[in-house]
Amino acid sequence: MYIVIIGAGNVGYGLALELYSHADYEILLVENDRGRAEVLRDELGELCVYGDGTEVTFLESIGVSRADIVIAVTGDDSHNLIACQVAQHRFGVSRTIARVNNPRNERLFQTLGIESTVSAASAVLAQIEADLPAQSFIPLLRLRASGLEVVDLHVQPRSRAAGVALRDLDLPDDAVISLVVSGDSSRVPDGDTVLEAGDEIIAVIGQESEPAMRELVRSPDEPQREIDEVLQ
Amino acid sequence: MKVVIMGCGRVGSTVAGRLDADGHDVTIIDLNTQAFRRLPGGFGGEHLRGSGIDDRTLVAAGVREADAFIALTQGDNRNLMASQMAKHLFNVETVVTRVYDPLRAELYGRLGLRTFSPTRISADLAIDALLGTA
Repeated sequence: MYIVIIGAGNVGYGLALELYSHADYEILLVENDRGRAEVLRDELGELCVYGDGTEVTFLESIGVSRADIVIAVTGDDSHNLIACQVAQHRFGVSRTIARVNNPRNERLFQTLGIESTVSAASAVLAQIEADLPAQSFIPLLRLRASGLEVVDLHVQPRSRAAGVALRDLDLPDDAVISLVVSGDSSRVPDGDTVLEAGDEIIAVIGQESEPAMRELVRSPDEPQREIDEVLQ
Repeated sequence: MKVVIMGCGRVGSTVAGRLDADGHDVTIIDLNTQAFRRLPGGFGGEHLRGSGIDDRTLVAAGVREADAFIALTQGDNRNLMASQMAKHLFNVETVVTRVYDPLRAELYGRLGLRTFSPTRISADLAIDALLGTA
């Protein structure tokens, strides 16, 4: 498998070393800063090459059309986007992965058909949010194709969901409660299932429904906060 | 029509001045406030400091209501990214993008942007001038 990595900063360099240890992978690390590329060439030899990973002529010279994956991890979102798009649309590379430095660009990249995006800032924030005590809402997973999210909700005492049967709960249309965990047992709920304070719910919801779902399980004492506000 | 221009260099400021003089509603964006000095005296449009690849800057510049977006910074990739934001996130009808690299200009032309390459245009002019066909 031929993997082209564009951007030899800390992320690209670390990734190249990691993947290089797999015998099945042929790796090429592209760096557009000549000095950095020369330093890395001394260390890594032909694994690293100097060039602009968004330039058609250069990409042609490294045979990018036979690449199985192009991974763009520079510190500049516009470079990452264009590198992936040129690889896809000009060279027919089917799998592209882009680092998104500004999490607010994730939607653009997905709209434009970049298969996967990786955002350090989003990952760090999600991890912190999961680790914060007494969180009532934790995003677990985003299902890219559908735009749905898998979330973990903790029913807080005196919240609107506590003591209420599911059928009487004012759920958003695109929210499905998939699992209810009480203590150390879990069950697939039905309309009669009554949620209790302390229950944990795994739900699949549309992104638009996040605020409504947070509101349902939130304790009246818990300040309302959203990860988006932290990002702004 | 309402036009948002990204990049207030020599070309951007000239385009902004002319469109403004023709009665269009112009907002021009640049990272550097010094760049706005290039705008002609009597320029009646808006100018805004910010990055054209930041959606908040684009919204502040009124891209949601814009009929056209023109990307004229020195960076091909920045121009291409901002243009695609204007087109695909904010549904701007007409998007014009300067791309120095002729090959990228051609590729994104096929992908729906109105691109032009000063490199190719200059090369054509140079050859015409040399051969006396201009």
